[in-house]
Amino acid sequence: MTDKTVNSDVNQWFAHNQGLVDILPEKVVVEPYRILKGMGMQPADADDYLLDLISNEMEACKKKLMPEAAFNVHFSHQFSPGKYHIKLDEITFKTSKIVYSFLKKSTYLVLFSCTCGPAIENYSRELMKEGNSLEGLIVDLIGSEMAEWITEEVHLFIEKAMEQFGWGVSNRYSPGYCNWPVSEQHKLFALLGENNCGIKLTPTSLMLPIKSVSGMLGIGPGLKRLAYKCNICDDKNCIMRGK
Amino acid sequence: MNSEELLAKLSECVEFGKVNKNAPFPPAMKGMDGADELTAQALEMGVDPVDILNNALIGAMDKVGEKFSQKKIFVPQMLISAKAMNAAMEHLKPYFQSGQVKRKGKFIIGTVAGDLHDIGKNLVAMIVEGAGWEVIDLGVDVNAAKFMQAIDTNPEAVVGLSALLTTTMASMKNIVAEIKGKYPEVKLIVGGAPVTEAFKTEIGADGYSDDPQGAVSYLNALVA
Ligand code: B12
Repeated sequence: MTDKTVNSDVNQWFAHNQGLVDILPEKVVVEPYRILKGMGMQPADADDYLLDLISNEMEACKKKLMPEAAFNVHFSHQFSPGKYHIKLDEITFKTSKIVYSFLKKSTYLVLFSCTCGPAIENYSRELMKEGNSLEGLIVDLIGSEMAEWITEEVHLFIEKAMEQFGWGVSNRYSPGYCNWPVSEQHKLFALLGENNCGIKLTPTSLMLPIKSVSGMLGIGPGLKRLAYKCNICDDKNCIMRGK
Repeated sequence: MNSEELLAKLSECVEFGKVNKNAPFPPAMKGMDGADELTAQALEMGVDPVDILNNALIGAMDKVGEKFSQKKIFVPQMLISAKAMNAAMEHLKPYFQSGQVKRKGKFIIGTVAGDLHDIGKNLVAMIVEGAGWEVIDLGVDVNAAKFMQAIDTNPEAVVGLSALLTTTMASMKNIVAEIKGKYPEVKLIVGGAPVTEAFKTEIGADGYSDDPQGAVSYLNALVA
């Protein structure tokens, strides 16, 4: 198969599959240790009281989860090295060194949005208001993990599909990560168009519902998901540095 | 129980997070009276509400904050203690309203514009409140105008700003400059994972801490 026929097969696949992804809420998996980690704890630090609380709230959140996820592909792009600019259609993203370096080998770029819906964060807020701040925090953390889980499902869905063409996927990046300004969120949503899962942006570029994730990933031959590399990132302030 | 024993017991309830008699936590105190019942009993006994606040509640929350700083306890225990503290405070409300019991001062806190991370900010708010301050929580994505509106109505307040994104550190810098431009005398303390002592100095804020207990020490020093 020539590169051209592969590209056109990939185009075909996207023509049929881009848009909403089916996410089954009953399949959601969140490991309790992730919630403990979110509270600065190791599994050994937790007592039964806390573990029971987490497992009860997990069940409550599963019932409230209304996952939505969508993606679209952008065939037309231009990379400007040095400035770390990536132009997709008519929109120029001013990314960062690290985001640029992981995406620059992509044949095409895929944009995505994912959300848990509003019910989990509303439930968390209610709990807090009632004075149950521990329960509220646990629900908040579960919501964050569920948003990550949905995003990972989309990433895997695209990764699996690309395998049949001998292609791979890159890491995914979100505005706000690795020094890519969060204000670029507006450009991302402009290109997502109707694939925005109903997420609204505030003037300061934050997503509502809060339990949402947006971002970009690359696809192409030879692409692989790699460990995040702090040594090549220029964000000296990032709190994930060296972790 | 005499009043001293009662206050010691109350202090223990707050320190270990025994909210009320029905609360299942901590298992070792199952079925015993909690902060709720003991505060009511102390007031009935005629204990001065000022003593309840200063000798039992604030002391207990101080210990909680210290243990958290030393990583002897974690966020959940701190939140359960704060809940026990709040149960006790419910009974003291009328005395705050009448002015018989006074707080140490007012603390306005918010996550800066462009940022919605609020877990850390909420912890700081809870511990500062537990240390005897009145907390005015402005929430997340708070711009300079909103901070200044709150300062207008509470000119004596100390202001705390939280930022979790490196990109919103710029927002923090602008807000600090705007507040200082209009209210040079208002004390500002900043925090959040990417914020540092050096950054505090660079943007002209007055205080910085990487944990809630540090915020309490800073605030208490201002009124000492
Ligand atoms: C939880 C979390 C979320 C949750 C937020 C939940 C919430 N209610 O806050 C969710 C999932 C919603 C989220 C979303 C995003 N997040 Co986020 N998130 C985190 C995470 C994992 C933990 C933050 C946290 O709560 N820590 C625990 C608390 C207790 O610690 P703390 O906040 O530092 O607070 C302590 C101290 O700093 C201090 N303190 C805090 N405030 C103050 C204030 C004062 C006055 C004082 C004295 C002290 C003080 O005391 C606290 C207690 O000790 C971090 C990664 C990490 N491990 O830190 C990323 C992180 C902060 N997020 C990040 C990003 C980019 C985002 C997004 C913008 C990404 C995106 N485009 O989708 C989105 C925005 C979503 C939207 N809707 O627009 C990045 C920021 C990168 C950077 N360097 O700028 C991080 C570092 C992740 C990463 N891998 O890069 N996030």
